[in-house]
Amino acid sequence: MSDKLNQILQKQQQQIDEPLKKEDDVIQLVGFIIGQEEYAVPILSIQEIIKPIEYTRVPSVPTYILGVFNLRGSVIPLIDLRSKFKMDPAKVTEDTRYIVMKGSDNTAGFVIDRLTEAIRIKSSRIGPPPETIHAEKGMVYGIGMRDDNILTILKVEQLLKRDF
Amino acid sequence: MEDIQEILEDFLVEAFELIEQLDQNLVELEGNPDDLELLNSIFRVAHTIKGSSSFLNFDILTGLTHHMEDVLNKARHGDLKLTPEVMDVVLESIDLMKSLLHAIRDSGNDTSAGIDIADICRRLDIISNGEPAAAAPVAVEEPAHESFVPSFEEDDNTDYSKLSDKEVEDEIERLLKMRKEEDRKRKETSNAAKAAAVPTPSFESLKDSEEEVAPKAAEPVAAKRATADAGANAPAKKESASAMEQTIRVEVKRLDHLMNLIGELVLGKNRLLKIYDDVEERYEGEKFLEELNQVVSSISLVTTDLQIAVMKTRMLPIAKVFNKFPRMVRDLSRELGKQIELEISGEETELDKSIVEEIGDPLVHIIRNSCDHGIEDGATRRAQGKSEMGLIQLKAYNEGNHIVIEITDDGKGLDPDLLRSKAVEKGMITEREADAMTDKEAFALIFRPSLSTAKVVTNVSGRGVGMDVVKTNIEKLNGIIDVDSEVGQGTVIKLKIPLTLAIIQALLVGAQEEYYAIPLASVLETVRIPLDEIYTIEGKNVLRLRDEVLSLVRLSDIFGVKQVYEGGEHTYVVVIGLAESKLGVVVDTLVGQEEIVIKSLGDYLQGIEGIAGATIRGDGRVTLIVDVAALMNLAKGITVDIRASAEAVVKTKTVPSDYIVLAVDDSAMDRNIMKKSMEPIGVKVLEASNGQEALNMLKSAEYSIDAVLIDIEMPRMDGYTLAGEIRKYSKYKNLPLIAVTSRTSKADRLRGVESGMSEYITKPYSPEYLESVVRKNIKL
Repeated sequence: MSDKLNQILQKQQQQIDEPLKKEDDVIQLVGFIIGQEEYAVPILSIQEIIKPIEYTRVPSVPTYILGVFNLRGSVIPLIDLRSKFKMDPAKVTEDTRYIVMKGSDNTAGFVIDRLTEAIRIKSSRIGPPPETIHAEKGMVYGIGMRDDNILTILKVEQLLKRDF
Repeated sequence: MEDIQEILEDFLVEAFELIEQLDQNLVELEGNPDDLELLNSIFRVAHTIKGSSSFLNFDILTGLTHHMEDVLNKARHGDLKLTPEVMDVVLESIDLMKSLLHAIRDSGNDTSAGIDIADICRRLDIISNGEPAAAAPVAVEEPAHESFVPSFEEDDNTDYSKLSDKEVEDEIERLLKMRKEEDRKRKETSNAAKAAAVPTPSFESLKDSEEEVAPKAAEPVAAKRATADAGANAPAKKESASAMEQTIRVEVKRLDHLMNLIGELVLGKNRLLKIYDDVEERYEGEKFLEELNQVVSSISLVTTDLQIAVMKTRMLPIAKVFNKFPRMVRDLSRELGKQIELEISGEETELDKSIVEEIGDPLVHIIRNSCDHGIEDGATRRAQGKSEMGLIQLKAYNEGNHIVIEITDDGKGLDPDLLRSKAVEKGMITEREADAMTDKEAFALIFRPSLSTAKVVTNVSGRGVGMDVVKTNIEKLNGIIDVDSEVGQGTVIKLKIPLTLAIIQALLVGAQEEYYAIPLASVLETVRIPLDEIYTIEGKNVLRLRDEVLSLVRLSDIFGVKQVYEGGEHTYVVVIGLAESKLGVVVDTLVGQEEIVIKSLGDYLQGIEGIAGATIRGDGRVTLIVDVAALMNLAKGITVDIRASAEAVVKTKTVPSDYIVLAVDDSAMDRNIMKKSMEPIGVKVLEASNGQEALNMLKSAEYSIDAVLIDIEMPRMDGYTLAGEIRKYSKYKNLPLIAVTSRTSKADRLRGVESGMSEYITKPYSPEYLESVVRKNIKL
């Protein structure tokens, strides 16, 4: 009797432990497209995702800073990731979104071409960034390998860091 | 433990207030050594500090105050004359007290700072009677009491140790009551006495100080007695507190938070007003409008009142700053060997806390300058027939949304010619510039760094730094400095400072398609001028405005605004003034005055030159606020010839095929007819099947469209609405909009004109007619 009970208890304990373990090394990301490539950022660093709204140009800043917009009473800078990654500008389409990301002391909106999906990826499948791309500014956190494609995972703190 | 911390905090706040009073009263006393009442009140303040600090075991502070008290006591009994030399020592010991209090505030005790009081105590003792110092402080406390509250002393003899808790409490209450009664009586008599005596300017503050000091003096004593039986302390203290003051100390952080919330509310109100305007336009005459109007106006009224009320909670009387000047002027006059009197008025004028904190330094510099350079020494003054005593007046008063602080001296005044030659000598300006300068502009030179007219650098002033500080600080507050002076008569410096910083009045201006807010505090006036009144002198654009020559700069040049349309023959100039300088800013439109809430652009975008912050307008859009000081700096680097660039019409379109006409009609056949009619001209024709589509094409700015043919009846957005929407863009202000419709009534035509159509063609029309109308409008 007590053996059985012990077994059940053990099983329960296992069930409690396992998902925790799993969550430990699974990272949740939100994927999006800029140009031809798929990028992702950790879901916890995203404050919200909104459709494009009007923004106000700010003078004497680099061109990748489009300006500022009003997010329910807060004034938030808007950054064009295409231009920041030195890609050709594109027109605003039905799919264009602003991703508002929140860092430790900064919040900013980023223009992306379209969202893909929420992604769960094991941290073991994330490799270090190749030394050639964007590495000089440390914007890439790592490269996520997926079954059908690869993801560039961005470092939010670095994106939110003023570099001018 | 927490109790002690609390008591300590109370002690510090109180002590700093008291010391400030001491400073002021002592300086006053020097001019009026026979005022026994004043001396008594000073003595009481010193005594209170001694009492509280001995209770809290600050032995150094207690010792120092004790020696000082001895001197004052002697003076009070007429055994000692308060000569300036005595005052020097007393004031010096007050400075030491201040340092000790700072040390206590920072580290919690008075020993850590390592301040040595032995020397000053010795000097105080020499003054009081030459005897070597220091009976135990406690022993002296009793006689001190005795001297001004005789009845108290008897009570002191009661044997407290034999009493129970309850009895102690009762005893304390009895003492307090008695004490209050005495205070009241004394105040009555003293007021009567003072009214009879010479009324000094600080009569008010004296009375205040007494009201405050007397009951407070009772407090530490009560607390001290009560600690013998711990626990009885708290209730007694509380009661006495509630009986004497109707104020609450609130953390500044909370007020700031409140202010932020009000800011949000003001934005909401602005938005509501804007929506109401839109609704009113659309539903004119509807009944519910009346009700909506009532709600909107009452909310807007309450919001404004609330805003004012919250702003007032942050207001402090400027006396906080002014109070330290009598002492400063006194010290300076002794140091410089001049006789200077400082007259203060309007010290009850209130200002936002953050401004009060910023205004201190500039005033120190101005007053030091007045003492050192302004006021002449006694002999010179006598020779010029002035009274030997120099006079500096410090005045504060309200003027609209501003507070004005005026510093007047009757000294030698500023010599504009001397300033000019000094500036040329130092290579700050050229000879020609110097010649063109008005006297006012020459006075403004004193604010340039490293220009000093002082022949010798003293340790008071003359290094040419001070006035630069004044300028920087006042600019930070969006204030304006005005200098006026007459040689031999004196100088008047006026500082004009906005009352508050968080919510301001701003002038909204348009530069091409962009809007900017200029703080109204810096706007002197706006003028509309024809372009040919702008002249160029040495690559700078200038405008002659009345008797002044004003530099001009275009806002769109400073902020690199994209040129999307050409202005007319006239343009608007906003004359801005900051500190001592002026600048004309050329803008394309004036939108109007609005109350705006300043929001920061956040860490990411902070420190952008020329932008002070942002605000959210009634329509929800973000508008940037111009940093007037930075703008003036930026303007110096811009050398665009305004007149030439406005006159150089950029004609990029040369052949007819460069021109684009947009045909908007829901019927494909009608669009074809339009197209056919325009074939002879050779222009390119774009098509849109409804108003929305056409508007999107115009908005995207993909094509530069030269004329639009508009049908009136269309799905999704009709022609009138389309025309109205297009006209909202200033760059399409002059775009030819040609209505092509089968509606022929006069009312329809009228509506067409109202919505912004430039031509009205009725169907059916001949292709030739349409052709000619289009030709005429695009000037081909």
